[in-house]
Amino acid sequence: MAINQDLFHYPEAAKELFIRTEDITFRDGTRVSAEEIWEFLTKEAPVRFPHAFDNGRYNRNRISGDIALPYSLKDEYLSLTFNDRMLKAKQKGIPVAFVQGGQCVDPYYAAGAIALRPASVNQWAACQREGVTFTQAQVLREDDKERASQSISFEVCNTAGYEYIQEGSLPVDMIAPYSCLRCSDVSYSLEAHRHGKRQDVKLFLGDFPMADQKNKEWAVEYFAENIKRLIRSIDELTGRETTEEDLRKEIILHNEGRRLSREIAELWWAPDTPPTNGKDRRAILQMGGMEVHGDPEASLCVLREGKRFIEERVRKGVKGHGLIDKPARIFLCGSCVFPSDYRIEEGGGVIVGTDNHWSNISTLVEETGDPYYNLAKATLSYPYEQNVYERAKWTAEQIRKSRADGVLFMYNWGCNTQSAMARMLCDEIKKLVNVPTLIIEHEFQASQSEQLLNRVSAFVEML
Amino acid sequence: MTLQSVELIRKRVAERPAELAEARTNGQKVVGWQGYNLPEELIYALGLIPVRIGAGGDDRLVEIGARYISTKNCVYVRETVGLFAENKDPIVQNTDFLAFDATCLQTYRTAEILEYYFNKEVVVLGVPRNFYWPEAQVYFTKEVEHFTGRLEELSGARLDHDKLAETIELYNRIRGAIVEIYEYQAERERLISWEETYDIIHAGYVLDRKEYLRMLEGTLRELQEAQGRPAPEEEDEARIFISGSVIPPGDKKLIHIINAVGGRIVGDDLWSGLIPYLDVHIGENTVEGVALAYINRTPHGALPYLELETDKRIKRLKELVKNYKAHGVIYHTLRYCDPYSFKAKETKDVLAAEGIPLLEIHTEYSGSDYEAIRTRIEAFVEMLKIRNFETLRN
Repeated sequence: MAINQDLFHYPEAAKELFIRTEDITFRDGTRVSAEEIWEFLTKEAPVRFPHAFDNGRYNRNRISGDIALPYSLKDEYLSLTFNDRMLKAKQKGIPVAFVQGGQCVDPYYAAGAIALRPASVNQWAACQREGVTFTQAQVLREDDKERASQSISFEVCNTAGYEYIQEGSLPVDMIAPYSCLRCSDVSYSLEAHRHGKRQDVKLFLGDFPMADQKNKEWAVEYFAENIKRLIRSIDELTGRETTEEDLRKEIILHNEGRRLSREIAELWWAPDTPPTNGKDRRAILQMGGMEVHGDPEASLCVLREGKRFIEERVRKGVKGHGLIDKPARIFLCGSCVFPSDYRIEEGGGVIVGTDNHWSNISTLVEETGDPYYNLAKATLSYPYEQNVYERAKWTAEQIRKSRADGVLFMYNWGCNTQSAMARMLCDEIKKLVNVPTLIIEHEFQASQSEQLLNRVSAFVEML
Repeated sequence: MTLQSVELIRKRVAERPAELAEARTNGQKVVGWQGYNLPEELIYALGLIPVRIGAGGDDRLVEIGARYISTKNCVYVRETVGLFAENKDPIVQNTDFLAFDATCLQTYRTAEILEYYFNKEVVVLGVPRNFYWPEAQVYFTKEVEHFTGRLEELSGARLDHDKLAETIELYNRIRGAIVEIYEYQAERERLISWEETYDIIHAGYVLDRKEYLRMLEGTLRELQEAQGRPAPEEEDEARIFISGSVIPPGDKKLIHIINAVGGRIVGDDLWSGLIPYLDVHIGENTVEGVALAYINRTPHGALPYLELETDKRIKRLKELVKNYKAHGVIYHTLRYCDPYSFKAKETKDVLAAEGIPLLEIHTEYSGSDYEAIRTRIEAFVEMLKIRNFETLRN
């Protein structure tokens, strides 16, 4: 029986403007033109990845629809070519490492590896399955997750890619996350790989010390040593020797991404009605982490061009696609959580910022001096990883800057550390900025339950 | 029949809160602590009174604690928060400040919550996850020195070398006595049960340490005198070893069920049981010596170790199962206790390769799963008995 899907199509009318935009240059020096991207998005991708073009209300990842925003299309292109690009890199002998979300990836790239966070690993796996509908993709993803639950625990939230790397098909070479406090599951799931089928996968833990870590010289030195060992470990895979200069250069490159994201955020936050919808805000700001596409140079290309478009829109007073005038502004807290931007926007709200995937992006690394020490110092300074008072103080500052009217704290089922923090952080934020807060538990799926969406909508309405 | 010394220990535990209150009136400070890599010796050597805090088995306190932490945290930390929220527990009431380590990240968060909501002064000791690296040992040593410095500030005393040496000697003797009592509890003669031994260990969480050592030595004397007593008629057909998540004072559900269905517990490697007393080899009577001894013990499950073949925790588990002649392992996991839940399947596979059966019991402190657990354990005990019978027959 055929299933009728409401699929998104890029309108031909948008082509002319888009193909005049810039090429994307990749880390290996190759390029793709805007015209080639357009061809891919309008002809090849809808056939190979119909799930990504699902335009249903329950698909929180559905294509933005802001066709006049080239970076939005380019971000889709980079997401949908994940499998193609990773396999190409693998053929060239580039190792792939699984990392934690919300951490910097400078050392991995300095050593010549590709660093992928959990969401990127999931995206890679999703792109391996061609011709499936959104619903089929959801069911298959649930099956994948079930395999990890069987092998690790049904209470696992972050599986460190176990279902794909050990039980499935992704040729990841190394599991090497930092053990930040943001997520404890990733460390235990990393350990679970030791009893998996693939004993050739290298395991490494970047031991992120805790308890006032950024103010303790010995903690910074210890973490710097972790970064050194991480790089040596990748060097064993590549057969090359990474130098201090390689790391310094990579820091400078990644700092550019971090700076651009900060500047774009300031621009985006300024108008009463933001210049893009929530999905496109998230897409461009997360690019500053330089890991979302598995290719920092490609992310940087899109980021540079994206900044110009945001500047222009703000200057001209262009309103974000699908937004009402002066929407209720929501700041989102918590790890690995994405409420449906579209449903929030239907209700008259918009997500204006997050603490996760922003704490690391908004922390610049000193470019002169010992790069290991500098990187360690910056990483241990991530506001998200500090005690409740410091994290709340920084979050309150972001709330003020983004002019948010309310705070939504979400955590995934099974996430011990963020759930433990939720009430305490919200209570402290209320003291500092006196905005309403809502805490919601969330199931990690691309489709979202009506129950969850109702609660978020009611919160938006109240604001 | 319960030993007289065990009766006395239980009596002294009941009397202890009043003593703590009196000591505080006389100017002494009481430090409530929780963790695995936190060296209690340092607290004691500074003239502070250490009490290990945390309890289990009370669903009401779990519910109270969840209002501050969350329902996605293990019941042990929720109950710990509940104890402070309610503030009726006489030990908790008598703590002047708290000391936690960052071994288990939920415990670490608990420390933050106790500080935030209940205005407790908390000293936190960082613990490295790559604990077996030389650099990690340097880091931990500095953390322990820093921790000691904070304790000195709070106590107003300086750590004295002779006092530390004397304390280490005292604690070494306590550890030695506990290990010796554990050997007795596993004997065929059943002069003392595992449950009594477990109570003795928990008594050590609160009693004055010098008095505690005297009592342990009293128990050992009594056990030595009772040797030669005829063994009970009942056979040891289902000797069970308990592994996994913490079973703190007050959490008796699993223990009652095992006994009720005819199993006999003969050993454990629990955080709240024997394991903290094993492998503490303090080379030098210094802060560094203490730090290195603690970090080189059998690691806690919350510290990831990336090579299965050389994992000291697994190795120790196998040795203990063998030493106490256990027929099977009940692997106890608390809901949302990720450090141990995530290892259940692996541990089962590892022990299966040695011919040791393992049953995982995943539970919390409510009584609603009592009968379901009872059915599973009864079947496991029955299976062990049949296996033993068939082994003997063949």
